[in-house]
Amino acid sequence: MSTFRRVFSSSVGTKLLIGLTGLAMFVYLILHLIGNALIFAGPDTFNHYSHALISNPLIIPIETGLLLIFLLHVYKTIVNYFSNQSARPTGYAEKKFAGHTSRKSVASSTMIFSGLVLLLFVVIHVKQFKYGAWYLTTTAPSVRDLARLEFEVFRQPLWVAFYALCTIVVGLHLRHGIASGFQSIGFDHPVYTRRLTVTGVVLAIIIGGGLAFIPVWVYFTQ
Amino acid sequence: MRINLKIWRQSGPDKPGRFVEYTAPDVSPDMSFLEMLDVINEELIVKGEDPIAFDSDCREGICGTCGFLVSGVPHGPEPGTTVCQLHMRHFKDGDRLTLEPWRAKAFPVIKDLVVDRSAFDRIIQAGGYTSVNVGGAQDANAILIPGTLAEKAMDSAACIGCGACVAACKNASAALFTSAKISHLALLPQGQIERRARAIAMVERHDDEGFGSCSNEGECEAVCPKEIPITNIARMNREYFRAMLISRD
Ligand code: HEM
Ligand code: FES
Repeated sequence: MSTFRRVFSSSVGTKLLIGLTGLAMFVYLILHLIGNALIFAGPDTFNHYSHALISNPLIIPIETGLLLIFLLHVYKTIVNYFSNQSARPTGYAEKKFAGHTSRKSVASSTMIFSGLVLLLFVVIHVKQFKYGAWYLTTTAPSVRDLARLEFEVFRQPLWVAFYALCTIVVGLHLRHGIASGFQSIGFDHPVYTRRLTVTGVVLAIIIGGGLAFIPVWVYFTQ
Repeated sequence: MRINLKIWRQSGPDKPGRFVEYTAPDVSPDMSFLEMLDVINEELIVKGEDPIAFDSDCREGICGTCGFLVSGVPHGPEPGTTVCQLHMRHFKDGDRLTLEPWRAKAFPVIKDLVVDRSAFDRIIQAGGYTSVNVGGAQDANAILIPGTLAEKAMDSAACIGCGACVAACKNASAALFTSAKISHLALLPQGQIERRARAIAMVERHDDEGFGSCSNEGECEAVCPKEIPITNIARMNREYFRAMLISRD
């Protein structure tokens, strides 16, 4: 087997890939949240930002890269989930959280479920916005009026609830994911690891809560 | 005090198993958990029944031979304690406890609470040693080792190989065991010569034995009787990447 295949089919190498792709998407989400928050500055600012993004020639390679990272994460986590399941063919009659120093949490025990919700969510979300109705602004220069689409979607309470729930699931996934990803890539420092774990939880709340706030805000104010 | 027990009984490796209820009517708080089982077994022997099989050797928490789950937690509820050092004073009169063997594909049940942990031996055989001939005993200061490193290496070497980490892990991963064994040699000068080959061989043996991967929950660290930290796992990951992807030597 080639070294490359050997590394990335091993348990440790698999987690390196899951960690790297997960952390890359985490960085993307920070940028995505900041970009989306421009809606608070008004539809014009938001539309011009979105226009600047999609008219940048680099957007195609970046989007392709993101898609590959996403697919790699999904593929590796699902394969990893099944091989981990098969490592314990007979389950326990009684099993408790160990407590003490353990970091096991609701978030960490539901990664595959939160992940699968995210998979569904990302597909729906991309279809609804990126490939959704292409309105144009009436003021010159005429650009895509993404704000109008956003307001139309988030005037519907069911969509607001769906987005708020799914983005909270994003936060839940990251609640365990951020610290876990760093541990998987071998990061371990006497001071920074602890700070990073705390910062990771705070960022998970900011990202999950922030993304969930936007549709709610649109619903109540626009 | 009176303790009610539900214990996994399985007469052999490929035999079906089931839980059987036992009562220990007169348990002293000074007894260890295994002494309580000894008392139950003495009665079973007198009655002509098959005694409950469980592993133990030193009974002082240093050999790593004992181990099973007490009500869902490997080695029971006390942190940093093997089940042989778990004393009955931590339980109450009338408690109902479930005893179950380690469960993992790589740790098949041999009988009752006894599992086959030879997969650990094979991980060690794959590289958990130094094969250089060091000759006669040298002067103690001939190889200088910083105190902080010696401490870290000793913390990792404290692993007694009981298998509780595998038992606690939702993925039945032996990452904590393997990483402790890789770490204590990687940290010391004597371990440098085979450092690269060791990391690769031990990780691959770990996988071939059928253990899962690490989800970084740290249940292993929490149940480890020697409280080996999962920072060892981050080190193992670095050792492995370094050996496979980054470095030539
Ligand atoms: C918004 C997109 C996503 C982000 C930002 C993200 C982020 C992360 C991060 C940072 C980790 C920790 C990596 C590690 O433990 O080394 C992780 C783990 C995981 N992710 Fe994702 N993820 C996303 C989408 C998904 C999707 C769509 C799935 C679908 C199956 C998924 C399934 C998992 C699973 C199962 C784990 C745990 C792996 C384990 O137990 O070791 N994730 N994710
Ligand atoms: S019997 Fe030796 S550690 Fe328990």
